[in-house]
Amino acid sequence: MPRVLAGIETEYGLAVEGRGPEDQVEDATAVVKASPREAFTGWDTRFESPRSDLRGFRLDRLAFDPEDARYDTGRARGPEAEVRADRVLTNGARFYNDHGHPEYATPECWSLHELVLHDLAGELVVREAALAFERASGRRVTVLKNNSDGHGASYGTHESYLAPRGLGFERLYRAVMPLLIARTVLCGAGKVGSETGDPCPLQMSQRADFFAEPANAETLYRRPVFNTRDEPHADPGEWIRLHVIAGDANMDPGCTRRKVALVKLALLLESVGQSPVWRVADPPRAARSVSRDLSGNGRIDLEGGSWTEPRPVLESYLDAFERAFPAGEPDTDELLGTVEECRRLLEDLVSSPTAFARQVDWAAKRAMIEGFLEEEGGDWRDPRLKAFDLAYHDLDPDNGLYWALLEAGAVAPRPADEEIQARVEGVFERSRAWARSLAVRGQKSGLKGVSWGTLTLEEGGRETTVPLAPDREYPDSLAHAAEPGEFLRLLRDTK
Amino acid sequence: MTWNADRTLRRESSEPERRLGDDEGPSKPDIGRPDGPNELLRRMKRIDPDQAKKYRQRSGE
Repeated sequence: MPRVLAGIETEYGLAVEGRGPEDQVEDATAVVKASPREAFTGWDTRFESPRSDLRGFRLDRLAFDPEDARYDTGRARGPEAEVRADRVLTNGARFYNDHGHPEYATPECWSLHELVLHDLAGELVVREAALAFERASGRRVTVLKNNSDGHGASYGTHESYLAPRGLGFERLYRAVMPLLIARTVLCGAGKVGSETGDPCPLQMSQRADFFAEPANAETLYRRPVFNTRDEPHADPGEWIRLHVIAGDANMDPGCTRRKVALVKLALLLESVGQSPVWRVADPPRAARSVSRDLSGNGRIDLEGGSWTEPRPVLESYLDAFERAFPAGEPDTDELLGTVEECRRLLEDLVSSPTAFARQVDWAAKRAMIEGFLEEEGGDWRDPRLKAFDLAYHDLDPDNGLYWALLEAGAVAPRPADEEIQARVEGVFERSRAWARSLAVRGQKSGLKGVSWGTLTLEEGGRETTVPLAPDREYPDSLAHAAEPGEFLRLLRDTK
Repeated sequence: MTWNADRTLRRESSEPERRLGDDEGPSKPDIGRPDGPNELLRRMKRIDPDQAKKYRQRSGE
């Protein structure tokens, strides 16, 4: 079975005492710069192409939220690179200010286990930087791992998956779209209320309110369920980076693992021509319908006039994967473990809500609020509930509600601190992220530029840019390269 | 950099830590740390009900 390289980038919510959204770009820059982590600051933007579309064209410009434009009126900011404050960390991650949010992009990982740990490592890196900024500024800082302010502003948690170029837009769209809608039942972060359309007390997804179109390349405004940005960060003749913007930021690591695993299933099934066939008629509407039906039976209208629900969609992918990929290889077994977990959760959703709530963010949030209302009285119109929603995502272990649930055993335990700590420092797969990590740690004198797909090093007064092939295992000898010239030679020789 | 998750995630207390037997008497329990099921309710009760009204963000991606 081919392995699927994947990463997660999370834009964190940022609230600084005495400051507002008009100050947020400056504050996010300051938070990133306050990070005490060792880092390389020469992020190389030469190979970025956010306006290229998988469907074979290029947009003149990307849409911008008019509300945000209002915040920027009359504000002069420095050079873009200074505002973004890019950091490449010793674990190969990218930490920077993206549109006023501290963003942590994990290093690319093959295994789900590694990716989940790196996502959790990101929480620590961001929180650490926020506390450093708090000490320096004297202003209290709150960092939220969520995707909405509850007033119509959303910020993303994106997933990236490396896929062969040969799959193309049509096949990817058909294979992945049904799961992007249905997986919300098993990994949505939950949101009190709605920000578009009819009101509702609670819904499964943070993002479903914001989808306006089935597919486009936008990310800031008129967001699609399926993002068509064509920016592979690798050889464009060979690779596509599937850029998923429909998911939520999860506090529960099991949800993170599940949301990535399910998209991997779709990609792997499509690679062998065995994806289930579901033709979703109106993806934004289906996403909202699924999000708002807490029984898990939200209606998904299909082309041709029929309809289905999340469970049959999910089960069709789980069944197909088990048929197509027998156990026996580590990556397959890891995915099959998640398949089994998804099956169990679909049963728990119906027969054991408490077990379900222990493992899925939206249900944990719901149980937490229902427990409060039972204890204190009131109903879902209580304005405090939206504050509880935000507090669930607070990274501060002394205040955040998720952490109290964790301590009480009401949600599934997290991996050991030591495992997460190790990912803050380094990379444990021999992926290109490992090569990037080694360059930041060991080749400081010669390192001149870093991007997802390249390293630029100086040797003998000359700068050389080498591509980092995304599908290679990088050799142990890279760790022992004494100087940039040797490091470059080993990178070139990596087959 | 030496890692200490507790130090990284938690604010440093402005009050010096005191131990049982200090001259001023026994220390108070550390109520800032989760200590059981009631900790959740305690946290929920102390949340500013206007917090959600005040929380405004720029749109991201």
